[in-house]
Amino acid sequence: MSQDMLVLLAESLWETIYMVSVSAFIASIIGLPMGIILTTTAKGHILEQPWINKVLGAVVNATRSTPFIILMVAIIPLTRLIAGTSIGTNAAIVPLTIAAAPFIARIVESSLKEVDTGVVEAAQAMGASPLQIITKVLLPEALPSIILGLTLAIISLIGFSAMAGAIGGGGLGDLAIRYGYQRFRADIMLITVIILIVQVQVVQSCGDYFSRKLNKK
Amino acid sequence: MIDLQNIHKIYPTTNGSLVALNGINLRIKRGEIFGVIGKSGAGKSTLIRCINMLERPTEGTVVVDNEDITAMPEKELRQARKKIGMIFQHFNLLSSRTVYDNVAFPLELQGMSPAQIKDTVMPLLELVGLETKKDQFPSQLSGGQKQRVGIARALANKPKVLLCDEATSALDPQTTKSILSLLKSINTKFQLTIVLITHEMHVIKEICDQVAVIEGGEIVEQGSILQTFTKPQSNTTREFVSTIMNHDIPAVLAEHDFSKQPQPDSNLILRLSFIGHSAEEPIIASMIRHFNVVPNILFGNIDQIQNTPYGTLVIELAGEQQSIQNALNYLRSKELGIEVIGYVSRHARAIG
Repeated sequence: MSQDMLVLLAESLWETIYMVSVSAFIASIIGLPMGIILTTTAKGHILEQPWINKVLGAVVNATRSTPFIILMVAIIPLTRLIAGTSIGTNAAIVPLTIAAAPFIARIVESSLKEVDTGVVEAAQAMGASPLQIITKVLLPEALPSIILGLTLAIISLIGFSAMAGAIGGGGLGDLAIRYGYQRFRADIMLITVIILIVQVQVVQSCGDYFSRKLNKK
Repeated sequence: MIDLQNIHKIYPTTNGSLVALNGINLRIKRGEIFGVIGKSGAGKSTLIRCINMLERPTEGTVVVDNEDITAMPEKELRQARKKIGMIFQHFNLLSSRTVYDNVAFPLELQGMSPAQIKDTVMPLLELVGLETKKDQFPSQLSGGQKQRVGIARALANKPKVLLCDEATSALDPQTTKSILSLLKSINTKFQLTIVLITHEMHVIKEICDQVAVIEGGEIVEQGSILQTFTKPQSNTTREFVSTIMNHDIPAVLAEHDFSKQPQPDSNLILRLSFIGHSAEEPIIASMIRHFNVVPNILFGNIDQIQNTPYGTLVIELAGEQQSIQNALNYLRSKELGIEVIGYVSRHARAIG
């Protein structure tokens, strides 16, 4: 394999890592509070607000049911507004974030719902405020499960990022399509696929490790 | 200390409404251990949750330490709750925190400094006998140890009231005993008022001063332990009492027909209950000496309730009908509980 090809591979790898980590980070910042709101405003929970819950739930569902490739194209005007351009790695981060945030919201929601209601009740009986219940009970108790969920979200993002090539986002997926598939470079195809597999393995192993380490159950 | 006035709790359901509590009135004195016993679904869990507003009553007022907590806004209520500790059947400890941090939790909520927290937590862990386990996580503890952590946590805020929600129902008999004696010692040590709910009569017998029996969301009976155990008024109470004290007619008599009226040639079957010092008097012996009757003891049991001896005897009296009546009148003049089970034909019985 030529020197150029190696550089290209390294660049693509970096683009994938960059897109995935930045979008995972921003999506977590958006998704975490959404998940908390989805949980706590549900019926019978500490901040019961059926309407907020229904509206937010509907928004999340709508975003999640749109196929990523369509979402990416559909929000191009928004992407341009936020990233200043609709082409390139930075532009790809916008749809990736928007696709991942509701996913993370649901993951956080299901993790928080696993927390034993008895523990929440005990905290209430001790005079904890809703904010204290969220920060000192729900989040710490659900953390191992949230970490596993975020791992899942990052792996999905690696998959989504392969489609970012469609708007010139670059990354390994884009490389595999343009060189491996369209130029019949089986070696490039093979190597990108292997790198992607290794990437997913590493992410999953890290997630498992931290989750296990934090789980005291 | 705690005053529940006309508490109603009604849950709306899809097919009508479910009345969980129907006009509960209870007065619990300072320093008392007050037990509420009831079967599952009787409303006891709802009742205890009304005391700290985990369940808001649909109607009625709850006064704890002279403060009407039903009328409090949310923020004040949270302050009031800090003076009401609670322990649970399933302990409800934070699995992500160590024993020490679990006990520290209510103090953290108050924003206490780590040094102050340490000064409060360590003596509490010593009190419940878990100072060596302080860095372990709840999953590494046994059920009894978890409940001890729960107790230490509930005491951290120096509460005036401790609510126990089926606190021993998930524990084995030995552990139950040790938890109950811990509760008893805390009660004496801190003059802490304890309210406990349970479906187990022996828990009530072990540590309670007062008991209320709840059924279908209503208090069907209430009184001191001794009174309730020896003279149960309602059927539910009798059922509960019979789980630990035998109030059944002995099996040897079960197949006989009893008549409530004296019959010629019949023996009288009596149930006598002795309480306190009357249990120490030789009543049966003096009855034999004074009257021409032959007693046969069919069943006997002596127990202690709150350090008071309490005994039950089922006896059969044989003899002339007149002597039997005289003996019965003699017994009635004594301080004992007498229940005439009935007269049974002498032919049916081997004795006399």
